[in-house]
Amino acid sequence: MRHTPALIMMPVAAFVCQVQAADYLSTAEAQAVLFPQASTFSRQEVVLTKEQLKAIKKASGVRQRKTMPPIWRAEREGEFLGWFYVDDVIGKHEFITYAAAISPEGEVRGIEIMSYRETHGDEVRNQQWRDQFVGKKVDAPFKLNEDIINISGATLSCRNITDGVKRLLVLQEMVLKE
Amino acid sequence: MRVKSLIPMIGLLGMAGSAEAGENLLGYTKGAEVLPKGAAELYQWVTQRTDKGQGEYTAYDLKTEFEYGITNRFNMTGAFLAQSIETSGLLIDGYLPEEIDTGLEPAGITVGAKYNFLSPAADDFGLTMALEGAYMWKDPHSGQDKDTFTVELAMYMQKFFMEGQLVWLGNLGMESTYAHRADIEGLPADFDWPTEPEMEIGIAAKTGLSYRFVPNWYIGAEIFYEEEFETEVGSERWSVFAGPSIHYGGARWWTTLTWVTQLKGGGEVYEGQIDQNLHLIEKTEDEIRLKVGYNF
Repeated sequence: MRHTPALIMMPVAAFVCQVQAADYLSTAEAQAVLFPQASTFSRQEVVLTKEQLKAIKKASGVRQRKTMPPIWRAEREGEFLGWFYVDDVIGKHEFITYAAAISPEGEVRGIEIMSYRETHGDEVRNQQWRDQFVGKKVDAPFKLNEDIINISGATLSCRNITDGVKRLLVLQEMVLKE
Repeated sequence: MRVKSLIPMIGLLGMAGSAEAGENLLGYTKGAEVLPKGAAELYQWVTQRTDKGQGEYTAYDLKTEFEYGITNRFNMTGAFLAQSIETSGLLIDGYLPEEIDTGLEPAGITVGAKYNFLSPAADDFGLTMALEGAYMWKDPHSGQDKDTFTVELAMYMQKFFMEGQLVWLGNLGMESTYAHRADIEGLPADFDWPTEPEMEIGIAAKTGLSYRFVPNWYIGAEIFYEEEFETEVGSERWSVFAGPSIHYGGARWWTTLTWVTQLKGGGEVYEGQIDQNLHLIEKTEDEIRLKVGYNF
């Protein structure tokens, strides 16, 4: 076991290595991109109960991690345009932060990747890939390789963003439907 | 958007895709994800095997492996093996003929292929078949000259839980081996060192879990059963190893450190072996494995 300390030290050295975070959009920038016509974004305070969290998981198939999800109401001179969400999903190594715009009728207007903290797989930022979500409603399949094309090598990221958007649609349907 | 219209675009994306798929979360149990087309990964393994119950025995196995994504489902691998064996105070009839300190020396090569049938993220359950051929010219147990040809077929299974925060891995494998030992000059007349060709069949079942407890870092545990059959004695050896792993996955590279200990073993025992509940002829009591992977 003479060389064991050297073996152990190698992964410990990883502590000193920083993974470069790639932050592409701030919240305000994402709001401007997804609701360019909006004049005001007012924060919508939502506190999800245990029962609501369970119901969201049951309907979407994935956990709603935050009990107070960051949601904004987008308006143009009093006209309600839709909801703006900032959400995190699990990437291969770190969380992926994205924004979603959903119309009052529960239809995805668009998504934007705000932070992708991994060097590989950031093709999820490609507009053509993100455009697959536009127009989708809560009853869409949201299945990789069915209605959402997978990106090879970034499958977990694709899967979790896809599931995340569906979860937001479920959340809106259950909690914010007017 | 129609799915068909996206296919050419996604094909291009796949070529530039992530190389994270080959990341090993555990030391011994492998995952079902493969590299996308055009991606490459270089792996370096170092395994330390120690303690046969008596005397001194320390072996290092080095594996330098290159993997390349031919398609999004089909990968090829090639590896160079080296080893170092130092043993003293223990001779085992038929297996450890003399005290030795080999130093680090080339020991073999491998060529392999993997085909991914199901993706754990896209299909809910990952399934990959792996085929590997190996030629070794050194015996990994005694360090003596020995030509060994091995073909191994394995199935790698993988399942994500908690959106990928918890990962289950399972492997089933079978290998066939043809081996031919070289003569050793000067052995005692009554020492058994057969030089006739021998054939063996081995089976392995491995399973483990890995949990991401903070971003980039996973802890895991695995357990695996291995058994080897040989014509003369039937079941020559079997063993159950288990132990924990810690894994770091970064942007370009990852590393995994695993310690496993032999919980139970059986089959042949050497003369004078104290702990009869372990197999200590071809196996040791403990193994430590460090893996480092670098993505291109």
